[in-house]
Amino acid sequence: MPPTNYYGTGLEQGYWGLMIVTYPYISGLVAGSFVVATLSQLFGRKRLAPIAPLAAILSFALLLAAPLTIWGDARQPSRVYELLTRMHVPYSPMALFLLIWIAYVILMLVELYAVFRAGNAERAAWQSRSLKGKISSVLTLGVRDTSATSLRRDERIVRWTAGIGILLAFLFHGYIGFIFGSMKARALWSTPLMPVLFIVSAIVSGIALVQLVYLAVSKWYGWTIDREIVAELNAWLVGTILLDLYLDVVDLVTSGVRGYAPEETFEWFNRLYFHGPLIWTYFGLQLGIGIIIPLIALMTRRSRLSIVNSAIMAFFVLVGVYAMRWNVVAGGQMASKVTNDVVSYPIVGTGYDSVQTVVGVFAIALLLFLFFMWGAPWRTGVEQPSEGSGGSSGIASTAVPGASTVTEQEVQSTTQGIPLTPPLPGSNSPGTSNSFNRASNGEKELQSLYPSVTNTQTQRGRS
Amino acid sequence: MPISKQAVSRRSFLGMLSATAAAVGGSVSLLGSKTARAIRVVARPSAAQMQRLLAYYKTKPRWASWLVPELNVNDGWQRWMRTILNSKSLPIVHDNFSRIGTTIRQPHHWVMVIDERRCVGCQACVVACKDENNVPVGVYRTWVDVVEIGQMVPDPTGAIVTDHGRFTNNIKRSSMPLICNHCDHPPCVEVCPVKATFKRADGIVMIDYDLCIGCGYCIQACPYNARFFNPVQQTADKCTFCAHRVDRGLLPACVTSCPTHARVFGDKNDPTSEVSKLISTTPTTVLKEDLGTHPQVFYINREQEVYDKNSVKNTVYPYTANLNSTEYATLSGNAPLPGDTGGQR
Repeated sequence: MPPTNYYGTGLEQGYWGLMIVTYPYISGLVAGSFVVATLSQLFGRKRLAPIAPLAAILSFALLLAAPLTIWGDARQPSRVYELLTRMHVPYSPMALFLLIWIAYVILMLVELYAVFRAGNAERAAWQSRSLKGKISSVLTLGVRDTSATSLRRDERIVRWTAGIGILLAFLFHGYIGFIFGSMKARALWSTPLMPVLFIVSAIVSGIALVQLVYLAVSKWYGWTIDREIVAELNAWLVGTILLDLYLDVVDLVTSGVRGYAPEETFEWFNRLYFHGPLIWTYFGLQLGIGIIIPLIALMTRRSRLSIVNSAIMAFFVLVGVYAMRWNVVAGGQMASKVTNDVVSYPIVGTGYDSVQTVVGVFAIALLLFLFFMWGAPWRTGVEQPSEGSGGSSGIASTAVPGASTVTEQEVQSTTQGIPLTPPLPGSNSPGTSNSFNRASNGEKELQSLYPSVTNTQTQRGRS
Repeated sequence: MPISKQAVSRRSFLGMLSATAAAVGGSVSLLGSKTARAIRVVARPSAAQMQRLLAYYKTKPRWASWLVPELNVNDGWQRWMRTILNSKSLPIVHDNFSRIGTTIRQPHHWVMVIDERRCVGCQACVVACKDENNVPVGVYRTWVDVVEIGQMVPDPTGAIVTDHGRFTNNIKRSSMPLICNHCDHPPCVEVCPVKATFKRADGIVMIDYDLCIGCGYCIQACPYNARFFNPVQQTADKCTFCAHRVDRGLLPACVTSCPTHARVFGDKNDPTSEVSKLISTTPTTVLKEDLGTHPQVFYINREQEVYDKNSVKNTVYPYTANLNSTEYATLSGNAPLPGDTGGQR
């Protein structure tokens, strides 16, 4: 006789609702997009340098929106200041939140200052009358020097902040995994895999989000998409998805097999993920759409160069990672602690802890991102005029010597179906039109070319 | 009533106590009405009498104060509103719980023994608790799972005849009183990010409702589901062992209301208390011992099968068993209850 109250609407509720499902998702996007930025800033993947500023402001916008989820989930949001005044460290991992968050915000401010200082200085010089120019002149904090020495110093600051920041990003996101993984009361949460699982899936989702945003922004402004960047991001995506798949399989084996798992863990894993309410979100969304389909679809280099395929797969990965957060947060609470039935986990449409609030948090993150896109000079590297726009193409290819020209050629060759040509031996590595990478060019050459670059770009930005 | 029994056991002290009470009562009788006298008799002794009592206590070992906790003013558990959160008068800990009993003086250690042989599943304790502590509708500080375990066994000679054959009844009803375990190493207290919940030196785990930010971490961390969100005050809430009663020498409401004496409350530090005798003479178990929380609610003759999903066939009182009950929306008045006229709440 099966239990009569299998999907019982019990009094033991899932107290951590959709907002807490969203919280690790957003903080994972923060950490993941930060990792994408550090790939060029710290780990020398110079091909990804053009999108590093975009990834950085994306990470910062999400970082500012991330606390809204837990703040909205707290029943007494007016007492949140106690997290600073009555901090229970080091015993409560949650008490570390504000410390880590504030440290991360400060670090991101330093990094964003260094990333955009040269661009701001240019803009302040060329648009001194406009609002943007005034904001830019404030944001340079008085350092208007755009010589190669100052750019090199900026690059050094960025490298240091990226190095510390990647640790902070892992801490910021890993501690959430630790909160779940250290909870011995919950059979499905209590696994030491949890922090690693969270961090890896965070990097996966961050790469996918940066990919999607890069494609969307380029499409919106009508710029040519650098397929080498797309392919490189997809390659990183495949690698991290493989790592994620490995961890998921380990989790599945150590929790879902009777011989390897504790009784309680196995029973609940079996009931929820194999036969219960989470079967579709686990096998369908988390493993299928989030891992297996992107792995297959991004298997070949040709498919990794396809823009439509990349966009769809990035979206799939984002859905899959959200499903993973759902499976962890909701699944852990569906497993009852004291009774033997599945706890109901209602999704509320409006009001407290509902779909409405989750959409609101994402909307705030989007607004912040759009605001930073308006304010920050992030276009320098990403902006590649499309072929149809005629004159501006010529300006860009002549304005930035070497780097942009190569990229231009590659893009054209890929669109025509011709195999990609390697970078010209005399030129720099592709995509080095980011501000601090210009330091590698000759100092005199750079200074002589600087005004013309800025001039054309700012004019195009206005129009 | 273990506390009153202890008081009776000390004849010398009892004499002194009665003299004190008589003195207070006599002095009050001069003041006037019967009501005033009744109130003043149970009130604290006067300053001079308290000095005599303290002088008496100073001649005794410190641990002797379990005898009449009501009268030991130096403990700090007298004045609830003023001293309960004052760690100087009543030590409270938020972490590193091994200090209790070692570096922190520990005159009492309140524990509960639940004798399941005697529990009849009448739910009187549940009602008394809600009555005493004003627990909102839909949530419980203590509850009793009453479940039916076993099944109808096919039997050719069985007494129960159905269309599908004859059966023998092999079903028994088992009840399981549940309450906060006031663990000696409570994970719920340790994870609180703002130190809003604490463990008193006498073992009671409590929440400061004015500090709770309502994050829900303690609710998730409790392995016994003893914590919940109070829907009225919007903070975490839990059993307090009726600390406001215990501090005045009374038993918790669920203990006083139990008709079969299945719940026994007392001081584990006192070797003469009923709980100490029960724990020392009867095999007891605690819930989820493997988690290392060291629960301080001890069960006699606990039915392991209550937790076994293959054994439980029917839940008799589903509204307290936290499953298959009316949705909270109905109970809290957001949806009409049966017989509700539909008026405004």
